[in-house]
Amino acid sequence: MTTANFDATGFANNRSATPRSDAVRDIEVDRETLDASIAEFAGPRADYYADSFHTIHDTTGPIPRTFNLAAFLAGPFWASARGAWGLFWGFIILEVIAFVQIGRGSWGQLGAEDLANAQRQQARAQEFLQRAADAVAAGEDGTRFETLGNNLMRAAERSRETAEAAAADAAAILLTGLAMLLVLRLIQAVYANVAYEKQYTRWRVDPLAVPSGLKVQNAVLGLVLGLVIVPLTVYRFTIEGVPGWMAEFPADPDTYSVSARWLEGVIDDAARSGAGTFDGIVLLVRQVLDAISLALIGTPWPVVMTVIVVIGWRSAGPRVAIFTAAALAYIAFLGYWEIAMETVALVGAAVVLCVIMGIPLGIWFGKSQRAYNFAEPVLDLMQTLPAFVYLIPIIAFFGTGNPPGILATIIFGMPPVIRLTALGMRGVPDSIKEAATAFGASRWQLLKDVELPLALPSIMTGVNQTILMCLSMVVIISLIGGGGLGQVILEALQFAAKGPGLLGGFAILFVAMVIDRIVQGAFRRADQR
Amino acid sequence: MAETVVELANVWKVFGPRAQETIADAQSSELTKAEALSKYRTVIGVRDASFEVARGEIFCIMGLSGSGKSTLVRHVNRLIEPSAGKIRVLGEDVGAMGKVALREMRARHIGMVFQHMALMPHRSVRENVAYPLEIRKIPKSKRWAISDHCLSLVDLAGYEDRLPKELSGGMQQRVGIARALASDPEILLMDEPFSALDPLIRLQLQDQFKTLVRDLNKSTLFITHDLDEAIRIGTRIAIMKDGVIVQIGTPEEIVTAPADDYVREFVQGISRLKLVKAHTIMQPLNGSGVPEGAIRVDGESDLDTLIDVSVGTDDPLVVEDAGVPVGVISKTVLLRGIQGGR
Repeated sequence: MTTANFDATGFANNRSATPRSDAVRDIEVDRETLDASIAEFAGPRADYYADSFHTIHDTTGPIPRTFNLAAFLAGPFWASARGAWGLFWGFIILEVIAFVQIGRGSWGQLGAEDLANAQRQQARAQEFLQRAADAVAAGEDGTRFETLGNNLMRAAERSRETAEAAAADAAAILLTGLAMLLVLRLIQAVYANVAYEKQYTRWRVDPLAVPSGLKVQNAVLGLVLGLVIVPLTVYRFTIEGVPGWMAEFPADPDTYSVSARWLEGVIDDAARSGAGTFDGIVLLVRQVLDAISLALIGTPWPVVMTVIVVIGWRSAGPRVAIFTAAALAYIAFLGYWEIAMETVALVGAAVVLCVIMGIPLGIWFGKSQRAYNFAEPVLDLMQTLPAFVYLIPIIAFFGTGNPPGILATIIFGMPPVIRLTALGMRGVPDSIKEAATAFGASRWQLLKDVELPLALPSIMTGVNQTILMCLSMVVIISLIGGGGLGQVILEALQFAAKGPGLLGGFAILFVAMVIDRIVQGAFRRADQR
Repeated sequence: MAETVVELANVWKVFGPRAQETIADAQSSELTKAEALSKYRTVIGVRDASFEVARGEIFCIMGLSGSGKSTLVRHVNRLIEPSAGKIRVLGEDVGAMGKVALREMRARHIGMVFQHMALMPHRSVRENVAYPLEIRKIPKSKRWAISDHCLSLVDLAGYEDRLPKELSGGMQQRVGIARALASDPEILLMDEPFSALDPLIRLQLQDQFKTLVRDLNKSTLFITHDLDEAIRIGTRIAIMKDGVIVQIGTPEEIVTAPADDYVREFVQGISRLKLVKAHTIMQPLNGSGVPEGAIRVDGESDLDTLIDVSVGTDDPLVVEDAGVPVGVISKTVLLRGIQGGR
């Protein structure tokens, strides 16, 4: 490899000392350095790979005309020995299919099942015919048995025909498998050098991470993998009646029951010992919920409706206000008013708690990379874990009803506000923070005057996403006794009641759309300001 | 000599956990930046820097990017902690200050201007300028009055209620200067304030800034990578290379007596006409008589003036100090002087 001298003066001297034509057409391919580098990469058979890489480099058409005999003969094992694992896995799976076909065609008992069927049916038919004959001999009516026997005879005949047809296909299947293998090997032989050249290009960038040369351990590893994968698969698909351990994983049922019982004990113990704490949390959540519910349900409905429509108007304009009025009218006329307000209260309580906890956490994670590294997997878990999974422990710890439902909603809804707050905090330019510090700002002033205002758009996006996530949990929490419109849907689902289900579904949709429109409108106005 | 306002003594800044070992090694040997990196995995930012800034002076620190000049200036208001050395501002040891005293000093005595303006985008121009006062909890009425005054000093009256993004780059930088002036500090730290601006605006701002600082009698530490700029506005110039201050001197000293090849290379392209004085190039009289009828010039005249005078006569010029002849300048001497004494 050449080491270029990028020193400014050296470069200038170089130029003046050797005045040479820089015309592009005069530039020659420097084969020597390239060949040395390819030889270093390829190891054994370096000359062959240098030549074929040059062919590839010189090719302007779609497919370079190189043929790798080793790849043709050894197939995926060539790829593994050369460290081209992507090629190895792709082609070993395709070749297994070909090998299974070859196995089925040459020694698989095709139609064996049908043949066995035919024999069984024939035996039964003989039995019935015998009984018919006995009946006739005894002077009774044997037609019933005779009909049955004849029917079975015909079925046996059909089965035997199917079996023979299948056996006759064996040669065709064998040929298909062989042809497939040949085609696959041809593709590998043509494609091998192209892929290997790509590997070489990557190796030039990162010689430590990209495998090079011909490694014995790679060849052995590929061979072992091939010996495990190919024979087992072919055996499973070509031989009738494989041993049970191969058809199904030999799992021990005791492992399952012991672990389940142990976990149950742990959760019960934790729930019993921490009962005070959990009750306190439930109480706190209930108080927030009660306050919001009182405001929404306790206040006379005309007041609440007017306030919501006016909020829509002020924050998002007349069109949203009209839509809000229509949506509220739908909810009210169908008698969903109170239950819809309960839903809003549930979502509201969850969002309030998410924001109260999420923004400080987000600020902390935005400032401390270490804290964020610890929190990141937890946040991922909160967002990816299906809600049904954590509903069960929530029942164990917090019981059923609305407050546990809100807690489940918080688990699902809090990550966005935390993440986007942290993101916003990190996005504040260092120069502006430095300027504020240089003018004597304390940490609190820095946070209040610079970081929070500059992170605000991001934080607002986080709050908006949290609201939407919380809304989508409202139906699910009805499973653990949460009230509101979710309960309507759940009941409709249990009785497969199409009408009530749809009406309730639209009510939820309208609640969600009204909240979303109003919040987005408000945030957009705040952004423009 | 005027009062010293900023004083740095043997300041080192080494980045990395093994900073003290590096300093100990570098003090006793010629440890280069590359050696420090390979031996201790540390980066030497500033190496044994000492200088003093007098009241009313514009002290320029000139160096290419990566020479440690921005790092050095951040030691003055302790945005960066020194690895070794003492820093005094207005006679007080900055390193010994507690948190509160440090914030007080930053807010009252030091104004700073940044290369990328660093204005708060969510606040109006006026509120940006008033921010240093807000930190000091000065009432709003007073804040607004002061910031309006500072904006008028930089010719931005009428833009108070705009947002920074509505202003051009040059105007934004003037807001930055107004903000630095708002708390009426004794010291201004200018971190490449005009580098991001186009050349014409830069010239205007340099002149405007020079006048402003002289009128307000501020002491300034001015960072730049442009020697022209340093010579134009600097009372004295410090030239930095790889964290080391190579030379400190007046613009004339730097141009006429560069300390080493590095400085000489920089100075080559600089026009000497406005810098070099008659003193510097004249041949002393040493008792010989004054040529009759020769035109007399003052010792402080620059080359530009000498050329103007010289084209009107064939005789050498007589240089005098306070009316007493001290030397002569012939045509040859003048031409060589313009060339740079080759």
